[in-house]
This record gives sequence, C-alpha cells and structure tokens, in this order.
Amino acid sequence: MTKKIKIQKLIEKIEGEAKLKFQFDRDKIDFVDIIFPFSREMRTILKHRPAFDALAINPRVCGICGHAHLIATVKALESCYENIQISQKAHILRDLTLSFELIQNHFKWFYLTLLPLLKEKQDVAKAAAISSMMAKAIAILAGQYPHNSYAVVGGVVCDPTYIEIRQIKSILKEAINFFETAMIINGDTYELTTCEKSDLLFTKKGDLPTVLNKIEKNGWLALGKSYDRFIVFGENGYFKRGKSIKTRIQPHILEKFVEEIPNIKSSAKNVTYKNKFYETGALSRAMLLKTPLIKDSHRRYGDSLFSRILARVCESVKLLHHCLTLLDEIDLSEPSYIEPEQKIQTISAEGVSAVEAARGSLIHKVILKDGLIREYQIITPTQWNLSNGTKEYPGIAQKAMIGLKDIALAEFVFKSFDVCSVCTTQ
Amino acid sequence: MARVSRDEKRKTIMYRALKLFSKEGFYTTTIPDIAKELGMSVGNFYNYFKSKDILAKEIIKYISAYLGEKLKEINEMPISSKEKIDKIVKIYFETAVNEPEMIEYFLRIYLANREVFKEGCEGMICVSDFVTEIMIFFEEGVRKGELRDQDFFSAFGLFMGYLGGMVFLYGEEVLPQGLESYTEDISLNIYKALKSDEN
Amino acid sequence: MKTKILWFQAVSCNGNVHSFLNYPYIERFLEDFTFVYHPVIEGEFTLEDIVKSYRKIDILLIDGTISRHFKRADKSVTDTISMYALNAKYIVTVGTCATFGGIFKENDSLQGSGFLFLEEKSVEKFSKFRKKVVSLSGCPVHPDVLVNTLYMLKENISLMLDKYKRPKEFFAYTVHNGCTRNEYFEYKIDNHRFGEKEGCMFYDHGCRAPFTHGSCNKILWNEVNSKTRAGQPCFGCTQPDFPGRDLFVTKKNMGIPQYMPFDVQKRAYLTLSGVAKAFKIERLEKRLFDD
Repeated sequence: MTKKIKIQKLIEKIEGEAKLKFQFDRDKIDFVDIIFPFSREMRTILKHRPAFDALAINPRVCGICGHAHLIATVKALESCYENIQISQKAHILRDLTLSFELIQNHFKWFYLTLLPLLKEKQDVAKAAAISSMMAKAIAILAGQYPHNSYAVVGGVVCDPTYIEIRQIKSILKEAINFFETAMIINGDTYELTTCEKSDLLFTKKGDLPTVLNKIEKNGWLALGKSYDRFIVFGENGYFKRGKSIKTRIQPHILEKFVEEIPNIKSSAKNVTYKNKFYETGALSRAMLLKTPLIKDSHRRYGDSLFSRILARVCESVKLLHHCLTLLDEIDLSEPSYIEPEQKIQTISAEGVSAVEAARGSLIHKVILKDGLIREYQIITPTQWNLSNGTKEYPGIAQKAMIGLKDIALAEFVFKSFDVCSVCTTQ
Repeated sequence: MARVSRDEKRKTIMYRALKLFSKEGFYTTTIPDIAKELGMSVGNFYNYFKSKDILAKEIIKYISAYLGEKLKEINEMPISSKEKIDKIVKIYFETAVNEPEMIEYFLRIYLANREVFKEGCEGMICVSDFVTEIMIFFEEGVRKGELRDQDFFSAFGLFMGYLGGMVFLYGEEVLPQGLESYTEDISLNIYKALKSDEN
Repeated sequence: MKTKILWFQAVSCNGNVHSFLNYPYIERFLEDFTFVYHPVIEGEFTLEDIVKSYRKIDILLIDGTISRHFKRADKSVTDTISMYALNAKYIVTVGTCATFGGIFKENDSLQGSGFLFLEEKSVEKFSKFRKKVVSLSGCPVHPDVLVNTLYMLKENISLMLDKYKRPKEFFAYTVHNGCTRNEYFEYKIDNHRFGEKEGCMFYDHGCRAPFTHGSCNKILWNEVNSKTRAGQPCFGCTQPDFPGRDLFVTKKNMGIPQYMPFDVQKRAYLTLSGVAKAFKIERLEKRLFDD
C-alpha cells in the first residue's frame, strides 16, 4: 500500500486564515481539505433585529468588501416590499460605489497578495495609493469608507451636485493614469478593454507584464485549472447574469437552485448550483460578458490562474471606463430617495438579492416578520470557490490544487482565487 | 422698612393686576386702574411694564412659572406616574380654588384673546415652564413603561383639556360639589386613558 | 530606530486594517515604524511565529473582539494577547471591538469583550495592564487617529485620556461638532428627509452625533466627507454601547427624544426647543439652492 503523507499548512493574509490539509500520494497532491476554523455567526447577531439594523451590521461582515454587503442588504430588504420605487439616479450611484470597492479590491490583491506569491516584494505604497483613491471616491458619495450605510430602502441618502461628480471623475482619471504608468507603462487602458490578444501583454513593460512574464517563465501558464464552469448572479447595468460551461452560456439561472451545505470539517459552508460546484469571480464575469481579452486568454490557457489574474486586472480597467460613462449619464435632478409607501413594521416577507463583489457573486436572503429579521442567510463568493468537497467530487479550488507537487505552488493556486476568510465564515 | 426688590415689586403688580382683570374684565381694566390699585403713579408703573400687552404676557409667564415650579416638584418625586397624575390634578384644582384668578386668567384671557399674545408669545413659549414639565412627566412615564407612547399633543390635549374643562365648569358654578371631590375619579380617568397596555 | 508594532487580531472583520491602508502617507509611516506582524502587510514574522513564542515588540495593537474561544494559529487569542501584553511598552486597542466589545460581542456564544471594557463596565482579565493602554474606538478606527496616536507614543508625548483611555485630542469632541447640518439642529427644524443635503437627522432618523465622542466632522473621513454630511445618521460607533438597536430611528417617548446631547438637561433642551419651534425661519425651511 502506498504511503500517503499528510501535511498541514496555515494560509494567512487572506482577510483571516485558512488551513490546507494536504494528502500526498507519492509526490503529488492527492486531495486537499480547505478548512476555515471559525465563524463569528453574523446570522445570530442579525436575528430578531429590526430590518434596517442589517444596513449597519452587514458591512461589518468584511472590511474589504463590506460595501458589497451593504448593497446586497438593501436590495434584499427592498425585494421584501410589494411596491417600491428606486430612481435611476440611485441605481447608478449604488453601482458606482460598488464598482469603486471592486476596483480597489483587485489592485490591493495584485500588489499585496499576488506579488509575494511570485517572490516579489509587496508594493504597499501602490496598493495604498489606489486604495485611498477609490475609498475617497466612495466617501464623496457615501460619507466614509470603509463602513458606511448610505444605501437605504428607497434609494441613497446622499444629494450630490456637479461638484461631487467632477471630483469623482478626476479621481477615476487618476486611477487610469496610475494604471497607464505603473501597471502597463505607456499602456492605453481604453485599448486594453477591446484588445483581443492576451499574448501582446508579454511584450509590454510594467507591473502586469512583469507578473505575466514570470508566470510564463516558470511554466505556470496552465496552472490552476478547475472545472471550467462559471456562474454570475449579480446582474446590474454592467455585469451579465448566467452560467457558462466552458464557453457555452446559459443566461437563465435561479437563486432557488443555490444550496448551502454545512461541512463537518470546516466552519464555512459549501455552495452548489443544482448540485454542482461553480467558479465565481472576475473570470466568470468576463466569460459571461465574452470580454475579448479574456476570451483569448481562456482559449489559450483555459481557466488557469493566468486567466484569473488577467480577468481581474482587465475588469478593473473596464470598470473605470464604465464608471466614467455612468457619471455622464447620471441625472442629478432625479430624487436620491423615494419614501416607500409601506412601513417596514408591516412587512412579513422573504427577500433575496445578488450583487457582484470583487471575488464573485454575493447572495443575501432575508426573512422578515413584522419588520424584524427572522432569518438572514449570506452566501459569499469565496464559499463558491473554496467549497470543501470530497475526493470523488472536489470543489473548484480543490480541483485546481490536486495533482500539483509543491505546497508553495498549491498556495499560489489557492490564493489566485482571491480568498476572503472573514466573508467565507461570516 | 426693608427695601422691596424690583423683582418682588413686579410680582406684586402682576398679582394685583391679575385680580383686577378677573373682577373687572381684561379690556375694561386700564393701566391707571391698576396703578391706582397699587398706589403708584402711572409713570412709575411704566418703569416696570412698558405696556398693558407686555404686562399681559408677563402675567401668563408668571402663572406658567408658578404652576411649572409645582409640577417640577411632583416630577422629581420618586413615585409612579399614576401617583403623579393624582398630585398634578390636586395641585391644579387647589390652584383653581385658592388662586382662582390664575387659572381663570389662563382660560378666559390667554386662550380667549389670542390677538393680544400674538407677538412675543408665539407658539407655546410663554407657557413653556408649564408645558416643559408636562413633557418631562410624559417622557418619563413612557420611558418607564407606565404610560403608552403616543403623540405628545394627543396626550396633552386629553390631560389639559379635561382639567381646563372641569375648572371652566367650576367657574360657571355648574358643579354640584366642590372641585376637590372630583379629584379621585378624574385622576383615575386620566390614568386609565394614558397608561400603557402592560399596566 | 523603527518602532516595532505587532498588529494582532482577535474576532475582527478587517475594517480597521483596511481603514489604516487609506492613510495618505503610509510610505512615510513605514519609514518610522515596522510591523513585526500585520494581517496584510508582510512583516518580519508569520502568524505562526508570532503565536508560537514571544517576539520583541514595542507596541501591541489589538484589533477585534477578544474571546478566549477564538483561536488564531491554533492558539486562543487571549493566550497570545497575554503573552505580548506583559512585555509590550504600550497596548493600543484599535477599533470599538477591541475597546468595548463592539459588533462581535453581540454573538453571545463568543463571550467576547474589549480589552479593558465590556460596554461601559470594566473587565477584570487584563485590568492589570490598564496603565499602558490607549483606547482608539471607532468602527472602523480613523487612520489619522491611529497613526497620530502611534507617533505620540513613539515620541513619548503625554496623552490626555478620558475615562475609557481614549485620547482627548480626538475623542473630546462630539461627532456633532462640524456637521454641515448644524443649523437645522440649532433651530430645531425637524423636517429631515433622506436624500437631501438639508435637515438634521437627530429628530427622526436616529442620529447619535450629539452624544457620541469622535472627530468625524472635524478631521473628516478619507479627507473629504463624513457620514452625517453625506446624509446618514451617526450610529455612535465609538461609544461603549455600539451597535445598539433600531439604528435609523430616534427613540422618542411621546414625541420627545430619549437621548439628549451630552450633559444637556432635558428641561433645558425642551425649553430651548419650545422657543425655537415657535419661530419659522424661512431659509431653513426651504431647500438650500431654492430662491
């Protein structure tokens, strides 16, 4: 009988920690358990509270994607109303701040998480610069970042003027300038959004090409492949909803087929769609949008970590441009907030919402009884990607790690899914 | 002979003017009438009150402060809202019986001649001492769970309208018995109307 | 000589970490301070190293609600905290969770608390370290508050602390100081609607700014704004009783706000209110940009 070696590694700096319990068969990883040790039990904290308290509590699920939780919360609550009107202006403002947080996440991940995995030094200065820029853009509308509750049932609380819009535009242009001087030197972000040749990036100079070239040099281009199965729930003015099996898209998906299954080994629950594991995140979103650059990368390198990295960077750039367009479209004369007719105390209903957070689809489900929270369920993107399946049927990230020979490499693949430990366990 | 302070002199003037207004009527009583009653010259009177309107406003503030002070004492007692209602009703009726001009002034002059009090007594600022104490009584009662939470004015109207109405009837000499004998039933009625469902 | 900091988390959401990363001069900060361990920034040691045995540090930062049931790197956070609290020169509780218990104390099974306090009450376990503690409450902590406090500690500048060990330089103010909606509060104009830059949220929408200690409207957030300026009520996130309940609603008893601005007697408030409400101030009844 072959001897199976078991090795355990603590993975940290993933908005918390996780444990990977590897099983080696000869020199290859045979199976790996993904264990999240602890839950703070936000669901318990929310129980019996007045519905609107969730708008204050839920951003505290996470310090890096708390804003996505806020937007998901307000939408879940709004879906409990029979009749509710949200102005187009409020929709746009919510999409803007959601996008700003998303962009900030991707850049932070790139400069703080990705670089060390490639034995480069973290670039704290760049990460912090971009982070504070996008945080400022959010704060101009929402008061502060992190942790605001500026989206309320009925719209948003802020009342921006042209001055705020101009300020935000300047910030977004600064961010684009940053990209074009650091990420891809002399890069043209607009060109990047329509480019169809991912290999062109190897020829450029900058932080992104450096990373991509290193991956190529190490022979890691095909690393991190999983089921090639993607899912996106949070449709808005930009992202498209649906699932994609390889490149075959099926736009009709329903939250009722999403199942959360407790895992005895971990505090995090597994998530499936119609009993299958799906990947969620920037790559999934790009597959659903058929983003040319990512389509090309996927054609060459599949659902590898290369495609994941590229998808994140490309998405940031595309969103920056999309936000500039939104800022031109917004009609400030519309009301920010429309008082709902129903009083929250009279509402007993079930609600559900989905938004795209940086790491993927975030789903919130709420049951209200007379305006109080009876049940609150949060399904986070990391739960999708890091579901802890079995040897016969591994989860997305597990499948990506199985077959590798090296724990350090496995950690790289693991972190390429951009893990958020606090969200996963809530 | 001790020098009377300006403040005390003002109070005396107001008190006596109050009695005159009550006996002879507000519009028929003139400044010279009041000055004569007090044994002072009209010129000297104007040193204390620049006009009859100003006097009228100061009197209502004075009454409000008088009643407010009594209510404050009750508010600061460590007793239940039910017991406080009883004491408030008693004090109100006692004042109506012992200092009838005060309540009468409030009902028949302040409430009835709004045009006199239009400027300088906007809203309830001239009766604020009294109203503030009622607010404090209500707020504490609700906070302690003894009174039902409701709109302030609904509760205020019930309490003050009821008491004012009874004093009005007393003034018309319609009540078969003395005002004090109605205290118990009235307090109970008010309490039952305002109390919280748990009590 | 760079001051050595250990940023150690108990039950946290990482909000404080990401708030800190928004500090505008972080590169300069890192010239004067070094993280022996940090949840995001690469430090000298890994989490396992830090937890396994004591590493020399100058300042211990505690972030998150402290619960003996919660482990990091397989060791109870209270054990790790005890180990470092003993030898650190200063202990700084970063955020309301580490100071008063904050959000995660609401989960009863954790039996969590702050380092010295559980809401307003003192907690026994670490009280012997009281002398070297500085509390920086806030949810999250404001990056300027954290960085400036660290510099004051580094330069041995004596801090004036309130009864919860919070530096008065930041916490003596109320969040009410500097809010752009102050005039509506001053004149008791209670017609606030969400989505408008006018109006005060104290009367109906649960704003706790007049009885919350903090500098949000003085030093502003992200250098540009604050929650109340943007139109959300202050949730009192620096205070011992955060998060409280029914956060967007002003608790009223027969129409009278239950909570008063700090040290304002109800009688005084009601009298002032009565006077203010008697008058109509046209400009404050209209939208700001209307004629």
